[in-house]
Amino acid sequence: MAKGKKGSTGGDGASGDNVRLAEVGQSLFVKAVAVGVIALGISLFLGSTENDGWTRWSHSYLVAFVWVMTIGAGALWWITIQNIVNSHWSTVIRRVGELIATNAPVLALLSLPVVLPLILGKPIMYRWADSSLMTGDLAHKLGYLNTKFFSIRFVFYFGYWTWLSYYFLNKSLGQDKESKEAAAKTVVTMRRLAGPAMIVFALTITFCAIDLIMTLEPQWFSTMFGVYYFASCVLAINSSLALSLMWLQSKGRLSSSVTVHHFHDLGKMVFAFTIFWAYVGFSQFMLQWYANIPEETLWWKERFANGWGTLSWVLLFGHFVIPFFGLLSRWVKRSRKALAFWCIWQLVMIYLDMYWLVMPTLGTSDVPFKLVDLACWVGVLALFIAGIAYRAKNLDLLAKNDPRLPDSLALENL
Amino acid sequence: MSDEHKKSPAKPSEAPLHGLLAEYDTPPQLVQAAKKIRDAGFTKWDTYSPFAVHGIDDAMGIKMTVLPWFVLCAGLTGLATAITLQWWTNAVDYPWIISGKPMWSIPANVPIMFELTVLLSAITTLVGMLLLNNLPLPSHPLDQVRRFARVTDDKFFLMIQASDPKFDDVETRELLEATHPVAIEAVNEDHTTDDKLPSGLVYALIIVAVASIVPFALAAKARYTKSSSTRIHIIQDMDSQPKYKAQRENPFFADNRATRPAIDGTVAVGDARDDDHFYKGKVGNDWARTFPTEIALDEATMDRGRQRFGIYCTPCHGQVGQGDGMVAKRADQLAQGTWVPPSNITQENLRQMPVGELFNSITNGVRNMPAYGPQIKTEDRWAIIMYVRALQRSRSGSLNDLPPDARASLK
Amino acid sequence: MAISDVNPFEAPPVGDNMFARITDNVTRIAETPQPPRAWYIAFGVAQLLLLMFLSSLGYVIWNGIGAWGNMMPVAWGFPIVNFVFWIGIGHAGTLISAILFLFRQNWRTAINRFAEAMTIFAVVCAGIFPGMHIGRPWLPYYMFPIPNQMDMWPQFRSPLEWDVFAVSTYATVSILFWYMGMIPDFATFRDRATTTVRRVAYGIVAMGWRGSSRQWHVYERAYLILAALATPLVLSVHSVVSFDFATAQLPGWHTTIFPPYFVAGAIFGGFAMVVTLAVPARQFFGLKRIITIRHLELMNKVIMATGLLVGYAYGMEFFVAYYSGNKYEVFTFVNRAFGPYGWAYWTMISCNVLLPQLHWFPKFRTNPWCTLAIGLVVNVGMWFERFVIICTSLSRDFLPSSWGYFIPTPVDLATLGGSFGLFFTLFLLFCRYLPMVAMAEVKAFSPLGRAHGDHH
Repeated sequence: MAKGKKGSTGGDGASGDNVRLAEVGQSLFVKAVAVGVIALGISLFLGSTENDGWTRWSHSYLVAFVWVMTIGAGALWWITIQNIVNSHWSTVIRRVGELIATNAPVLALLSLPVVLPLILGKPIMYRWADSSLMTGDLAHKLGYLNTKFFSIRFVFYFGYWTWLSYYFLNKSLGQDKESKEAAAKTVVTMRRLAGPAMIVFALTITFCAIDLIMTLEPQWFSTMFGVYYFASCVLAINSSLALSLMWLQSKGRLSSSVTVHHFHDLGKMVFAFTIFWAYVGFSQFMLQWYANIPEETLWWKERFANGWGTLSWVLLFGHFVIPFFGLLSRWVKRSRKALAFWCIWQLVMIYLDMYWLVMPTLGTSDVPFKLVDLACWVGVLALFIAGIAYRAKNLDLLAKNDPRLPDSLALENL
Repeated sequence: MSDEHKKSPAKPSEAPLHGLLAEYDTPPQLVQAAKKIRDAGFTKWDTYSPFAVHGIDDAMGIKMTVLPWFVLCAGLTGLATAITLQWWTNAVDYPWIISGKPMWSIPANVPIMFELTVLLSAITTLVGMLLLNNLPLPSHPLDQVRRFARVTDDKFFLMIQASDPKFDDVETRELLEATHPVAIEAVNEDHTTDDKLPSGLVYALIIVAVASIVPFALAAKARYTKSSSTRIHIIQDMDSQPKYKAQRENPFFADNRATRPAIDGTVAVGDARDDDHFYKGKVGNDWARTFPTEIALDEATMDRGRQRFGIYCTPCHGQVGQGDGMVAKRADQLAQGTWVPPSNITQENLRQMPVGELFNSITNGVRNMPAYGPQIKTEDRWAIIMYVRALQRSRSGSLNDLPPDARASLK
Repeated sequence: MAISDVNPFEAPPVGDNMFARITDNVTRIAETPQPPRAWYIAFGVAQLLLLMFLSSLGYVIWNGIGAWGNMMPVAWGFPIVNFVFWIGIGHAGTLISAILFLFRQNWRTAINRFAEAMTIFAVVCAGIFPGMHIGRPWLPYYMFPIPNQMDMWPQFRSPLEWDVFAVSTYATVSILFWYMGMIPDFATFRDRATTTVRRVAYGIVAMGWRGSSRQWHVYERAYLILAALATPLVLSVHSVVSFDFATAQLPGWHTTIFPPYFVAGAIFGGFAMVVTLAVPARQFFGLKRIITIRHLELMNKVIMATGLLVGYAYGMEFFVAYYSGNKYEVFTFVNRAFGPYGWAYWTMISCNVLLPQLHWFPKFRTNPWCTLAIGLVVNVGMWFERFVIICTSLSRDFLPSSWGYFIPTPVDLATLGGSFGLFFTLFLLFCRYLPMVAMAEVKAFSPLGRAHGDHH
């Protein structure tokens, strides 16, 4: 119930909106930590009952982790692009994006169950962690796929993401207290960095996705893979932003700053990137299907056999065809309930997509959905949210002093 | 814009009133005026501007157009058409295998599915827009108003039609004046220009319409009737060449045939083939038991025989002639029950067989073995037989048959 | 052709308000009795090139495809390189019209009209090449699913057939979008026409448009729908073109990133062509107040961004060639840089990756002549990119005994150079007779047009 601070210049959003989470944030943090710890605890217990040296659990965890990484990395991409194109419409929601992006250190911590065994040379999931398993055709890849190089890359990915996200957040927070002229200069400063920063980001997200997911099957390769993962990131962040903002407004924050017009725009992005994901996924599939080269088709064969084939069809219709028609109409994107439905739907579909990418490595003929998967998913998401809540609870949810804010507040979407 | 056709032109002041037109300088003025007119409950009125004015839709109470629904239907039609087209043409009507792809290759059909969806949607969008907007609209009473020409330049207009139920000559004008226009003008119906198409144009269109059916009719006639005249062949390429083909007529010869039969009682030079021993493997009526004199029984011939045997005979008969060549092995694997195994040419009865009879088997084939005469020159066939004899000897001889220095290598 | 002391195009536009001035600035290009002298010079050069184009095409139709340098193993030579080059250029127009519209980038209104025109003319040039390269251009109906005397159908499983549909759809939709955008501007021309010929001609194509708001409502909706359709369409067209290569098994061709890589490259080259046209157009037609330095700068930024996407794709191809361990892939990439076509490769890298980086510096990207120079450089680079992909990969594939070096014939070069003649002829005629700037849109998004006054 503490009201947001009134900015001395620029105003505090539309007519005195509450822009602080305060104790709502604290309670969210506590609940999220509790849920996260309990869920992960259950997953560890379930994983231990498999008696397979943690293989099953690791795969479950990896799916949950790369799913949550689409949101985290997606957020960093999102705030960078908003700066590059000098977007006015998104100013009112950009701080929320920054708060999600700065969860990068939490992401790094969450990645440890997957990454530590790799660095220690244990091939629980990644065959290449043990170089003696990489024989014949695979041997030459050891120049890239070795634990030393991987560790350096890993540190670089998450270090860079942490640095970049905090740069934007801190600059933005600093802008809240600046004078009008200084605030305008900050916009330019952020924009100047965003260009080169995006180039490096593109490379980090590409190689992170390759390292964590593509190398599960070291024989296979696809130049499109980074783009494929990126498409999911964009879809994830737009959906997550819409849902986060709806939740914030349900708690009485940003009530009149974020309007139906902003949600409409987020909905348009979800729609557009649903199509983009399908385009990228189809290109990747069709080209390797068409040329029919065994070292490429082996990956697809696994994913079309038996139960996996059913999941592939579910993805095609569930991740593309149905949401395409669902999000087509203007009314849907302007209706809170309908948009929330589709955002949640797409986030679930992204999870299924990650599941479909990772799990066939286990070698089962059927889709092995188990409670441990759900437990990992809930646990990782809860801890991710906990990280955001902890950081956000005492920060303003609105870039009050950004000179583009009035345009953003006045956004009209036809 | 249509032709002037003066029947009995009514004087402009006598033409009935079409509506009242108000002119404005800026978009906000237009929007304010529109709100007033909307609120006053008029239904037959419109505003005019050089560009789409922001906020005018709400100000006038214009409802959302149904165009998107037409487009959706068109898009789905395009999608269905594409799927059906590709399925029917490639998988039903004329299926043929291309690089192992399924007859109905759904992944390969997706690009065209997408393109046709977009194509039909886009055409419907434009045509639908024109139809819903009543375009083309060649004439309109407003064309008579001089100042209205600036609607496509920099001025904004509002017109209320006299046919609106709420229209009143005085009150409506007062209402308009209250919106502070630059000017108000009465617009009369257009009774001076003729709405009808000029008769010349009508006749021309009818003639063109009828004439345009002719090519299709001709094509249909050509497609479904037979004709004894040769087809019209525009791009000749090298299709008709000034030469005589076999089976054609040639009036130069008495029997009118282009193909000339062999002259009775003659043989081409070099074609006599009267050496039966060499060409048929026969001496008199019996199979020859010796090689013909044309064949030199030396190392070179043996080498040639070995090479030719390796090319032509080993696939079935195997490297040492035991009937275990690759083809035979594969046939055994397939075990289809129709295979007759190739002979082991080193067996006893073939060792006893005269060379002439062997020659005949190679030349004309025997049982399931095809004739190799057309493929293998006569000399080479004798060379192969020489090698076959060597193989047979190798399978039936003893160590003493070898020269002394070669014996050591086998011990 | 005497030019008066005051070049009518340089004079400030006439009118007592901004809308009238916009109208005057744009209509004077078509209404002034004579176009600027530069137009005549350009048109003359274009006619010479067009003549060269038509002669080389006629020569090939008469004598056969052997007049070109296509040989084994480089069976796809200049014609396909030129086809992909021209189709790519077309994409920028659609992006400006459609995608920038969906992103509410209102600066596009100054350039979208002639960019769309550029698209149409580029697609015309592009379409001629596959039509010619089939060898018997009098039998194009084989490519369409029309019942024919052989009772045969096209092979829908082939990317070449997908191309037929994609390019046809693209040409149609681009023309529809371009035409629809011009209807209000044709009405402007019609209402200002001083001769009957102009009035009737523009009147017919204007369809009787009078600016009714009820009509604007449907029109705006249609515009939005076409923009929303054109956006995935433009992505799909160059993706389908990339499928021509990526579906093959040839190293250097078969790689999954081709579709977005080609689309980014197309936009890259297309924007380069847009700025190549925009800089002289604004100079000689007096459009500096409408196509401002800010517009040039924004276009240069798009060029930078798409150039970096192309660079990313180059990088990914390299990495995966190494990672895959496929010795043919590895060889292909080494051969591209250091083999007999290395000169083409390094031209491509300098033009596409290195030189555009100059646009990081405001001094370069706000200078019209640097903009023009880099635009030309990028066009050259993008042509070479297609040449490297197509000819280098084909010239040295799996079997060394098949290797061969492709050399273009003079007919090849004449056809390439001549195609610019066709393009510029059409474009210059467009500049002179059609509304070169989207007046209605520029007015709508001008400060006066967006003013709300006393408002909701």
